Amino acid sequence: MVETENLTKWFDVSLGLFRGSIPLKAVDGVSLTIQRSQTVAIVGESGSGKTTLGRTVIRLLEPTGGRLAYNGTDITHRPEKELMWLRRKAQMIPQDPYSSVNPAFPVFRILEEPLVIHKQGEAKDREEAVFKALQAVKLNPPRFFANKYPHMLSGGQRQRVAIARALMLNPEFILADEPVSMLDASVRISILRLLRQIQNEFGIAFLYITHDLATAKHFANRIGIMYAGRLVEEGPVERVLGEPLHPYTQALMGAIPDPDPANRLVVRQGLPGEPPNLVSLPTGCHFHPRCPIAQPGLCDVQDPELRELRPGHRVACHLAK
Amino acid sequence: MPVLDIRNLTLWYRTRKGPVHAVDDISFSLEPGQTIAIVGESGCGKTSTANAVLRLLPKNVARYEGKVIFDGQDVMDLGNEEFRRSVRWRGISMVFQGAMNALNPAVRVGYQVAEPLMVHYEVDRDEAADQAMEALRKVGLPEDLVRRYPHELSGGMKQRVVIAMALILKPKVVILDEPTSALDVMTQTNIINLLKDLKASDRLSYIFITHDLGLASELADLVGIMYAGQLVELGPSEGVFVRPKHPYTGKLLASVPRLRSEAAPEFIPGAPPDLTAPPSGCRFHLRCPVAFEMCGWSADEFVEQMEAIRQTEGSKIPPISSMSVKSPTHLVIRPGENGTAADFAKALGSFSNENKEKYRFLKAIESVEPRTKSVEVKLFESSPPPYIGDDWRASCWLLKEGGS
Repeated sequence: MVETENLTKWFDVSLGLFRGSIPLKAVDGVSLTIQRSQTVAIVGESGSGKTTLGRTVIRLLEPTGGRLAYNGTDITHRPEKELMWLRRKAQMIPQDPYSSVNPAFPVFRILEEPLVIHKQGEAKDREEAVFKALQAVKLNPPRFFANKYPHMLSGGQRQRVAIARALMLNPEFILADEPVSMLDASVRISILRLLRQIQNEFGIAFLYITHDLATAKHFANRIGIMYAGRLVEEGPVERVLGEPLHPYTQALMGAIPDPDPANRLVVRQGLPGEPPNLVSLPTGCHFHPRCPIAQPGLCDVQDPELRELRPGHRVACHLAK
Repeated sequence: MPVLDIRNLTLWYRTRKGPVHAVDDISFSLEPGQTIAIVGESGCGKTSTANAVLRLLPKNVARYEGKVIFDGQDVMDLGNEEFRRSVRWRGISMVFQGAMNALNPAVRVGYQVAEPLMVHYEVDRDEAADQAMEALRKVGLPEDLVRRYPHELSGGMKQRVVIAMALILKPKVVILDEPTSALDVMTQTNIINLLKDLKASDRLSYIFITHDLGLASELADLVGIMYAGQLVELGPSEGVFVRPKHPYTGKLLASVPRLRSEAAPEFIPGAPPDLTAPPSGCRFHLRCPVAFEMCGWSADEFVEQMEAIRQTEGSKIPPISSMSVKSPTHLVIRPGENGTAADFAKALGSFSNENKEKYRFLKAIESVEPRTKSVEVKLFESSPPPYIGDDWRASCWLLKEGGS
């Protein structure tokens, strides 16, 4: 359904008056395919470009280069005016349920608004659609919640409202950017389960952007690991997490503890240094300065390509076999 | 001898809705070099517990009592000034949640690290600078950082600076309140490794406050599970993480999405209770998967739950025209039109027999008596569950003395 080819998004960083600018390579050559009713998780640390990738994929940002297609239609550089259909088909669930809904609107109006803007249906149809969406996100009874204002709801309930709003225009594709990171651990699972149910019921494809490898494991079909603007590994969840081939993926997995009393007796393998600055990226593989197995003369010179090493499982590392 | 012994610590806040029972009768003790992790959902009183130990109290305190025995001395008896001078930071220090973003942007890092020294010991500038460098070295930072400003540092470095500030007076106990919650995973690992090193080299005792059970297991020798202001389970991490005694601990562990297991994470239905009016009996009974007769159902809760299942079960429940609460264990139901009290009592009895595993509040029914026009429902009496166990204790009615 969504296809990107070598997608790049660079921002210009000004160096000062008359000194010109240099590019900040937030997304640097990402090729990704998202199939109908599938969840693809993009996992990375802050500053890895995962949010920019998401926003570029639904054309909130215009790509700097590469190609972006939606159901076979090239939308890489389409002007905003010709994208109204995409604004209906592709929706977004934001990270922060506290700042993403208008505090002056009751839930009913928050949910009705997308229909009004896109001139869908009569008042009566719209009302029916609002109640249906509230039911779909398990805010029962719908009439009770429709009259509430956001401040009267808990964080989990607000996020359900944000999800209901994303459902109003019957989308095919939803970008969920850290949809649960602001919520309490026990509420997180219920929201992710709800997204899974909605996906099964309405056949929606999700791009799930997160820093949390463990929720990605349990709620996505495919997973892409991002580092410094690039996809370093991508494939079916079971394969990538069952046999991580990129040293960064391995380090990321090693850094996450499951509850286990033995943890306190061992020292976890960390990585030296910090992720690179996106305006002055290392040469060759972006990860080589921190990589435990980097080979001088190869990794610091040559860009690794994303190669398919196992069926459907791609890795960008010279040394992975 | 324990370095810190907390007994019956209680901290309530005054609000317009009545007192908030933020910390309610908490006891635990820590040996030198031992770490206790305090885990729970947000709003269950974790940070308030830390504030109560360090006596960092807001103006609206309604109740503050219990014993805080530090190094053999009950420091609750000390005056505020004496406590500040001899206990806070010198004996017990704290890494506050989000403290790395509260560094003063206009003051060099070295001065901020050395400030507690200058306040507490009146050391001169050179001596303070030396010690600040020493503290920075200890947390794995280069010494020349003393002359830098906070904006020049990365998140991980700032968090190390904040840890250096907490360690500079060489305290015996350090409270860590979500010390890695704003950091990326890789940075989090490095900070946790640093805390492990310091624990081993300096025999530091930590009170580690977190909502993340995986992270808790990285440092915890003891685990305290908090729910609604109370410590519902406290025990060695070998026990609590593996065979939890309290149903809440079990639910909490089952809600963690794990990287090394295929078990699908489950959620805990409902939300933590309002601490201005904590539920009677066991505070977890409303969300508990194994709650039974005496767990603390009140008539008000009964009415609320009944209304909720009338929405979902509808026709299976005999029609009700009104429900009124007479006392916490006694309510009167008036059947809907065309229903006699006797028929209603019978129907309610059979509905509750069939559904009491699914809707556990139905177990609280002790008797249903038809009167002329209404039905009287009596509920079982309840009281808060006692703590059971010594080194590993939990408060749940389902635990038997000596067993689990």
